[in-house]
Amino acid sequence: MSLWINYFVQILLYGALALSLNLLLGYAGQVSVAHAAFGAIGGYTMAYTSLEHGWNFLLGTLLGMAIAFVLGTLVALPALKLSVEYLILLTLGVSSVILGLLVAYPSFGGTYGLISLPAPNLFGWHLRRPEDWVLPALVAVAIVYVICHRIGESPMGRVLKGLREDPVATSALGKNVFAYKVSIFGLTSALAAFAGAMLAAWLRLATPGVYGFAFSLTIVAMVIFGGIGNLAGTMLGATIVVLLEPVLRRVIKIEAAKASFVQLIIYGVALAVLMRLRPQGALPEGFSLWRWLRGDRAPKTRVEMTAEWVPTIVQQTTDRPDTDLPVAVQERHERTWHEAPVVLRTTGVSKRFGGIVAASELEIELRKGTITALVGPNGAGKTTVFNLLTGAIVPDTGSILLNGEELVGLDPHQVARKGMVRTFQDVRLFNRLTCLQNVMLAVQHQPGETFTALAVPNGRVKQAEAETKAKALDWLRFVGMAEFADIPAAALSYGQTKLMSLARVLATEADVLLLDEPASGIDTKWVDTMLELIEQVRDQGRTVCVVEHNLHVVGRLADHTYFMELGQITAQGTIAELTNTPRLAEVYFGT
Amino acid sequence: MLALTFETFRQLTVDGFFRGCSYGLLGVGFALILGVTGRFHFAYGFLYTLAAYLAFTFAFRVNWPFWLSAAIGVVLASVGGSLIEARVYRPLARNAGPTALLAVFVAALGIGIAGENAIRLLWGANTQSFYGPTKEPYTVWDAIFINFDVWQAASGITITLALAAMLRYTALGRRIKATRANPDLARTIGIDSDRVYVIVFFLGTFCASVAAIWYALKYTVDPAMGTLPVTYAFVTAFLGGTQRSPIRVFSMGIVVALIEQYSSIWLEVRYTQTAVFVVLVLYLTYLAIKSSAWTARFSRPRIARA
Amino acid sequence: MEPELAPAAPTLPNGDGRRPMLAVEGLQAGYGRKQVVFDVDLHVDAGEILGILGHNGSGKSTTIRTVLGLNRAFGGRITFDGRETTGHGSRDNVKAGMAMIPSERFVFADMSVSDNLLLGAANDPDGDRRAKRMELVHQLFPILVDRADQPAGTMSGGQQRMVSLGMALMASPKLLMLDEPSLGLAPAVVQQIFGTVRQLADSEGLAVLLLEQNVGQALKIVDRCAVMRSGRVILEESRDEMLARESYWDLF
Repeated sequence: MSLWINYFVQILLYGALALSLNLLLGYAGQVSVAHAAFGAIGGYTMAYTSLEHGWNFLLGTLLGMAIAFVLGTLVALPALKLSVEYLILLTLGVSSVILGLLVAYPSFGGTYGLISLPAPNLFGWHLRRPEDWVLPALVAVAIVYVICHRIGESPMGRVLKGLREDPVATSALGKNVFAYKVSIFGLTSALAAFAGAMLAAWLRLATPGVYGFAFSLTIVAMVIFGGIGNLAGTMLGATIVVLLEPVLRRVIKIEAAKASFVQLIIYGVALAVLMRLRPQGALPEGFSLWRWLRGDRAPKTRVEMTAEWVPTIVQQTTDRPDTDLPVAVQERHERTWHEAPVVLRTTGVSKRFGGIVAASELEIELRKGTITALVGPNGAGKTTVFNLLTGAIVPDTGSILLNGEELVGLDPHQVARKGMVRTFQDVRLFNRLTCLQNVMLAVQHQPGETFTALAVPNGRVKQAEAETKAKALDWLRFVGMAEFADIPAAALSYGQTKLMSLARVLATEADVLLLDEPASGIDTKWVDTMLELIEQVRDQGRTVCVVEHNLHVVGRLADHTYFMELGQITAQGTIAELTNTPRLAEVYFGT
Repeated sequence: MLALTFETFRQLTVDGFFRGCSYGLLGVGFALILGVTGRFHFAYGFLYTLAAYLAFTFAFRVNWPFWLSAAIGVVLASVGGSLIEARVYRPLARNAGPTALLAVFVAALGIGIAGENAIRLLWGANTQSFYGPTKEPYTVWDAIFINFDVWQAASGITITLALAAMLRYTALGRRIKATRANPDLARTIGIDSDRVYVIVFFLGTFCASVAAIWYALKYTVDPAMGTLPVTYAFVTAFLGGTQRSPIRVFSMGIVVALIEQYSSIWLEVRYTQTAVFVVLVLYLTYLAIKSSAWTARFSRPRIARA
Repeated sequence: MEPELAPAAPTLPNGDGRRPMLAVEGLQAGYGRKQVVFDVDLHVDAGEILGILGHNGSGKSTTIRTVLGLNRAFGGRITFDGRETTGHGSRDNVKAGMAMIPSERFVFADMSVSDNLLLGAANDPDGDRRAKRMELVHQLFPILVDRADQPAGTMSGGQQRMVSLGMALMASPKLLMLDEPSLGLAPAVVQQIFGTVRQLADSEGLAVLLLEQNVGQALKIVDRCAVMRSGRVILEESRDEMLARESYWDLF
């Protein structure tokens, strides 16, 4: 009986470790193979302090958590700028360093570790028998679960998922992805140390064998079996990993020594097979072995629908949506443009990359309630302008003023918060999030995105979340995608993703919208819809700037057009004016 | 701090050189695979172990001559590497799209774990001795090493030079370099990247397998023998450069081993292995600081989009 | 070498019994779930240069990449040299005689000029033919002989274009597809390269698809034009009809 109790406690404690990794790997998308090493920090600190200094195991655990938190934060700093490949390498190195030091430092018992720890003293109750541990282990797991769940399923969790899917797009929506990355590393390292310390306290020893690199891989396996972003599934994963061996031994009657190998063979093969069958992002959002065994397949119910779905919000469709407006109308729009107040102004903005001039002395004005267009031949530098405006590239000289405030030197997320956002040529939706979640992420000033708000269990976060949801639904309705609220973005057709990307930037309620080729890559009906929506957005008083290659789209939309060549603005005015200038025809079409 | 005599320094250098030849060979193979195919081939360690065990089986269970057994072990393991690419990584990567890297990494992990334990199951979990030619010590200028060390070094250098020459002068080498440098253009001019990948996996695994034989001769075979080598392969390949010449990677292996050996002058021996990883972490940190792009990436060009 | 542009070869009327080297019918293509090419029809004969004009993102590149076999077509049919090649991979198509030069990263920058050229013939087992082609390439672009060992990436833009053209020619192609070859090049250099292409079409009977935004230069050597916009072919005209147009703004 006590044998099964021991397995139960082991499942709980392994599960606690895996839960914190799921928060780091599953929600935030940071691939770390150092998790067991942070567990080791907790375990060894607790073991050392209780063995050598007679500390209570809880105190030692707290110290271990503090050390792990600091170390985790330090590791996150270089990780900020490293892609997945490098991150794996970095965490591999960190893990080896930590374990190497723990093995090498003499007071830690070398390869034997610290053994014969005294029975943990939980407020006077000595935990000696296996049964004693059941309640404390449940409490420990519950604590970790509650923290991970609270964070993971909150607005902050949503930002973490955004970080996982596309950090660039998340940053462009005003979220400080660097800060989130560092804090989640620190937090999950501390949680790992907590679980690791509990493990050592239960085993009454802390040895390198317990926390080795192989164990890190085991924890990764538990997370993957259970499903990325699926906390309950992680506990299932832990159960599988722990129970596989005894099941093999007792139920299938494989002899003891072999059973442990067979278990590892089975889950090694299972990992490979799982990747082969469902490799989309390791596992799609919400997938878990549990659900798959139960027969629930991912919500593909609407995919057939999306293939034929065409937008219907536009009342009348023209045959050629990209016909120019009559010249008189163009000129009237141009006059409106000149009368509108300036919202964004750049002066003397220049940028060189080595010998190549990307931008030279740019003087651009974007005015309230108008649509400004940027056109030019290939290589003119139009996308560079967007990158300079949003802070993705820092100009060599010049100033960019948004409502009078200087933007040069700000990071993209700060620029977004000041009120200027952009869409991307390659759309960059958060594929594994639903349409609703995609738009909700864009809403600004969500209290649930901060630790302080999440720490206090009042209703504030819940209420704000309901408001965010309502706002997001409104924007989905605006672009005509409300019925797709619960469909993952990955299932959408390309045209639908373009509508979504518009909804997303609209939800930020930013004053200035920079739209990068909003009408490209989509068929006629869609172009119609997009143009109609952009015009409505303009009529609502926002400031829009559009980069487009299709000159007739520009002709219909733009109140004012800048013509660029080789990084410079060489002409501006209405489309009619520009197309009537022979020199521009030469530049655009060659001689 | 170790009292530094010239003799000690010499011995450390000699030890470092020979260990470095092993790290170098491992790194050359891994760099080729990672550089050309981009697969995070963690199962490299398993194939390393498999080569040694297969050679061991043919030598002691089937009782064939040592060199023949070793050769068979090496070739079979290399074929195994190609099979893993063709049957596991390739279909997986096709399916996975943008998340292929992670999916391949996890699958490789799984194969590595499963493989290591299958070896335990089939051959037993203990370390076993691998006897072949007799061990012969040499003393040159008062530094001690053995014949296995010399063979490791000779084979390592020869294989590296042969690979470098192949890449430089042969049609196949050009195809491999082209696939590595600009995979989209390579496909455009009609190079069959599937076939190139399979060949590269064979060559890379070949390097690891040879290194495994020398290790087994010098020490023992045991199912976990692949874990540390794959880590060194990784570090060496990364520091040497996955897009660079094998000669450079091999030399980096020697540098890594020398760092490890020389660090014992200041650190106690048990810290020296850690020293290598500290260097790795510091180098990665330096890369991150230096990088002006959003993220530093392995210099592997992505497939261009039209 | 003074680039003397040969006059455009006379267009043979339809229905003369000669089948086109390449025929594309009803092509639908794109990437993943993004469809970029909608129902495109094109054809080009041996010895003919068809200009495909259009703005960025009009689907020109996607079309030829699909023809070459780098993407799978969603629908439609591609017939090359009398055989259907829809769904064939790039390796088979290159062996059958197609060649393409992309608009960016069109040489192996770290490899020498001669290695680049040799790679172009990677699929040709015939050593003699390879040697002959190499001679032809050297005749067309003598500078490549001098710079044979230089890394291709260190050469000027125009010279790199010559390398890429040489690479394509090494495989004795029947169809040559060029993606915006004039990008970033001075007009004189563009003239030179275009002149060579025209020469090859005339002397070797090469069928050529020339994708360009630079209408002016393209019209000097093409026989016919197709204009693409937003993934569709909106217009097909002869060279003379195109030249007669006052402005091209309507088309883009």
